[in-house]
Amino acid sequence: MVLELRNAKKTFGEGNTLVEALKETNFLVERGELVAVIGPSGSGKSTFLTVAGGLQSPSEGQVIINGNELSQLNEKQRSKIRLQEIGFILQASNLVPFLSVDQQLELLNKVKKNNISRVEKKQLYEDLGITKLHKKYPSDLSGGERQRVAIAKALFSNPSIILADEPTASLDSDRAFEVMELLQHETKSKQTATIVVTHDTRLIKYFDKVYKMTDGVLTLDTTIYE
Amino acid sequence: MFLAWSEIKRNKLRFLLITSILLLVSFLVFFLSGLANGLASMNREAVDNWDADAIVLTEESDKSLYQSSLDKDLADELGAKETAVVSQMGSIVNNGDAKKNVLLFGINKDEFITPKLSEGDPTFYVQNGVVASDALKDDGFKIGDTLELSSSDTELTIVGFTEKARFNAAPVLYMKLNDLQKIKFGESYEMNKNMVNAIIIKDSKWINLDIPKDTEIIKSETFIENLPGYTEQNLTVTYMIYFLFVISAAIVAIFLYVLTVQKISMFGLMKAQGISSSYLAKSVVAQTFILALIGVVLGFGLTLLAGSFLPSAVPVQFDLPAMLSYGLVLIAVSIAGAVISVWTIIRIDPLKAIGG
Repeated sequence: MVLELRNAKKTFGEGNTLVEALKETNFLVERGELVAVIGPSGSGKSTFLTVAGGLQSPSEGQVIINGNELSQLNEKQRSKIRLQEIGFILQASNLVPFLSVDQQLELLNKVKKNNISRVEKKQLYEDLGITKLHKKYPSDLSGGERQRVAIAKALFSNPSIILADEPTASLDSDRAFEVMELLQHETKSKQTATIVVTHDTRLIKYFDKVYKMTDGVLTLDTTIYE
Repeated sequence: MFLAWSEIKRNKLRFLLITSILLLVSFLVFFLSGLANGLASMNREAVDNWDADAIVLTEESDKSLYQSSLDKDLADELGAKETAVVSQMGSIVNNGDAKKNVLLFGINKDEFITPKLSEGDPTFYVQNGVVASDALKDDGFKIGDTLELSSSDTELTIVGFTEKARFNAAPVLYMKLNDLQKIKFGESYEMNKNMVNAIIIKDSKWINLDIPKDTEIIKSETFIENLPGYTEQNLTVTYMIYFLFVISAAIVAIFLYVLTVQKISMFGLMKAQGISSSYLAKSVVAQTFILALIGVVLGFGLTLLAGSFLPSAVPVQFDLPAMLSYGLVLIAVSIAGAVISVWTIIRIDPLKAIGG
């Protein structure tokens, strides 16, 4: 497996003010799997995502990304793991406002070691349908286009995990489906483990597995396809 | 550099503003340094031109040329390599059109402080002939002018001009020692004709010279520093320049901090994606360097341009090595101003960007 949470738990505060944002969780994702975590806001989805993405350490338990046990690492090392192993797609477009589409990827190319080749990059542009946008700045792009560029950023240099936080939140249905189809296609073709945190139930059909998050408890939902 | 430069190109106006502030500050710094240099020259250029090592004055004169009085024969008794005597008198000269406050320096022919002529008759030792500082030319004085003196009926004639001959902000007129002594002492000339104000020494081993009691020998530089008002004036301008360094550091710090705070969520996102704090911090420092460099270089150009349009009455004289070092200091303090922003970036929690 690529990402595993083993008895991971996240609490904030202490004593009377103790909040268990993420109750004891066991979770596995394999390469090529597209997984959803669905739940209302405040249910602990974001906590789950940040713990799984190595942005914060679990209070208890382990998070293992591609064999690296994250709780053993400091922020600098975790930052490196995030850079090499994880592609983030965020709700608010995670594009740098003053960089053109080309430059967004150029920036990653500069900070990442395992650069992708020119041919791979061209292929990535074509897969995502952003070849014509390469000189444009985020402010000139539509919401769907921005999200496609964000996906390109996430996929850049082949991460093993993609974490998407509400990637379709600001999109209409057609655009949302387009983005999901892209994610599905890339997950299968690049064999990444993709986790999408969402509350958008229109998207259910794209996922291999759907987890539900309720009050910090993550459960595999098998009923949803019935 | 990539991130820094891309942002500057994309947000030209924003960065144009901060660059223009740096431009103006560096203009002011360069201009003040030119002014400091020019004011200093007004006081010291005659002494610098002598290229002397030391000067002998009476001890009770407290290093003031005007107050000192000693016998000129002392010059031969000292045993220094080269000596020159100077007798000095302040006066107002009038050529019929203009009046000017000047210093008359009586000197001996062929001693080493004898001025080199930039214009005029090399045999300037005619009766009551003077070689004038070319600063007087700006006031309309010219060769052949007859000068009336405020304190005497004797008339002087300008026979030549020499460059760089101002002392304590007044133009110097060099003349024959005896001519000056007659004007200076009048009826008591015979009694005082041997009394000069100072003996100028050119001898690198001046410190070993045996000088009589009641006199002191001081380095040329010490003599200059003790000119009335010289040190005070220099310090004032120098403090202004140092203050400008502090001000420019503060301006840059504030400006960059505001820009950084605006970008906190963006930096957070980038950090979440695994871009290191040090990469982002380097980018801010690089940005500051680019802006400061552009600002200082433009300020430098503007200063030279403005300098060429100034009336000669403004005592500005640019000293390029000094300007270069001030420019480097300005860039350095600007980068120091980026420290707060760097610190802010390091403290940004990538978690906040995700809204966890």
